Amino acid sequence: MSDIAIVGIGEVPTARLPERTPWDIIYDTCIEAVEDSGIGKDEIQGVVSVAPVGQPVISGELAFGLLPERLGLKGVRDSAMVNAGGASTSNALRLAEQWIASGIADSVLVQQVTVFSTMPVAEQIDVFARAGIDMQWEYPYGTTYNIIMGLLATRYMYESGASPEEMASVVTALRSWAEHDPHSLFYGRPAPSVDQVLGSDMLNTPLHKRESNVLADGGAALVVVSARRARELGGPAAYKLGESARYFSGTCVERDFGTMADGWRVTAEEAMARAGVTREDIDLWNVYLAYPLAHPQMAESLGVAPPGEGARFFAKGRMSFGGDIAWSTIGDAPGRGHTGSGVGTATYVETARQLMGRAGQRQVPDCRFAYQNTAGGSGFNNIATIWGREA
Amino acid sequence: MSIDMTKPLPETQPWTQAFWDGTREGKLLVQVCRQCQARIFAPRKRCPQCWSSDLGWIESAGRGTVYTFSTAYSGVEPKFTDELPYTIAYVDLAEGIRLMTRIVGCDPAELAIGMEVEVVFHDRDGFRLPYFRPAQNGNADE
Repeated sequence: MSDIAIVGIGEVPTARLPERTPWDIIYDTCIEAVEDSGIGKDEIQGVVSVAPVGQPVISGELAFGLLPERLGLKGVRDSAMVNAGGASTSNALRLAEQWIASGIADSVLVQQVTVFSTMPVAEQIDVFARAGIDMQWEYPYGTTYNIIMGLLATRYMYESGASPEEMASVVTALRSWAEHDPHSLFYGRPAPSVDQVLGSDMLNTPLHKRESNVLADGGAALVVVSARRARELGGPAAYKLGESARYFSGTCVERDFGTMADGWRVTAEEAMARAGVTREDIDLWNVYLAYPLAHPQMAESLGVAPPGEGARFFAKGRMSFGGDIAWSTIGDAPGRGHTGSGVGTATYVETARQLMGRAGQRQVPDCRFAYQNTAGGSGFNNIATIWGREA
Repeated sequence: MSIDMTKPLPETQPWTQAFWDGTREGKLLVQVCRQCQARIFAPRKRCPQCWSSDLGWIESAGRGTVYTFSTAYSGVEPKFTDELPYTIAYVDLAEGIRLMTRIVGCDPAELAIGMEVEVVFHDRDGFRLPYFRPAQNGNADE
């Protein structure tokens, strides 16, 4: 039985547009989401901001309550920001759920904004070199986010026997969705072939440049109400049906890959059990992992692919646009463009859009149930959720 | 904002000082709990298993195996570009802990998961970082 539902969504195209300020994005996404919900602006009683990565000025403004005032949301009773890196949006939705359950607010606006294009390069490098990496036991060795992913992928390829070509095909699959996504940095641009991925520079083994991410600007907003209210409103909605989470570790080297893969499996099973659905019921696997090379392991943990076969499923095109498995239909960060914690928000918007039947060319036919996860930091946790188009 | 080219030093805690003092003497120390016998990495103020504060150290033989690795060719911080290419690895010590380190003294093409390695200490501004190289017979001092 569902407690909350997403009844309105708003989103700007992901792009590198320095002239588009954070507040410009906030106005557009929040007003679009509220108008989409059919709820009056002064009926919004709570605002939860998803903490952006490496954006100290806008973070301070949002954390300390500037948004309701700026947007003239006269009915707001409280405003807050939540931060768990890439898992922030899941927590923003949980806070909305708690406010609704406790009577603090009937309708909650959840929003995220990130602008990387105006950030000096030195600052970008500094933020991404340190975030999620231990300052005593990892950083002095010269590690990076890309290297953390390389360590995971090297081990996965060793255990599964997946080839570089099969791993590269994940990029082709994710970008094939982005090609058809008007909100993607890569909208309308043909997905790179496996040869093009493998022909790009090697950043760190086994990660090629096209297997990493492009930083970009973006933002999105969601209107959350109780499931009862969503039914009363009568429009299309995405109902939250089940959830499960596991914590792994904050320090990369203390995170055993087997424990993590098992946590991905267990959280999906628990979330599905709470939602009263089985794997066969899931129409969309909306996976968020930030890097393509982790997707094959996730496909195996979710039971979408047999053990050791995840990368081969991507290579066969099964998770691509037009394939038989609807998987990460915004293409995760490699497809959408990396907006830090905003990719998690964008993935929830896509979950809602698919369940509302409004995903255009990417629409999953008769989409009734969606799995969606988020993970924070360099993978310190996994939050699995199940969403449905009916309560 | 100018680009900081200073090589980073470990940001220590009072309870990790013994580890870094050990490396200065050419010893790789592993924290142990005297209460529950847990082998602990990264070192803690209290045992993460039983919360005992009765913690001590054993000296590792300095040998381990490569669990996974990644060799960097580009895309690292400017302060590390002069060292490219270099290899970051997770090494499992015989004493039962896993640490992040560098693999040195080995052609990246020869590197493999399961390779036996031994510690060598790398000097950096008053610290000695434990790096590893392919295991050889004899003394492990750099």
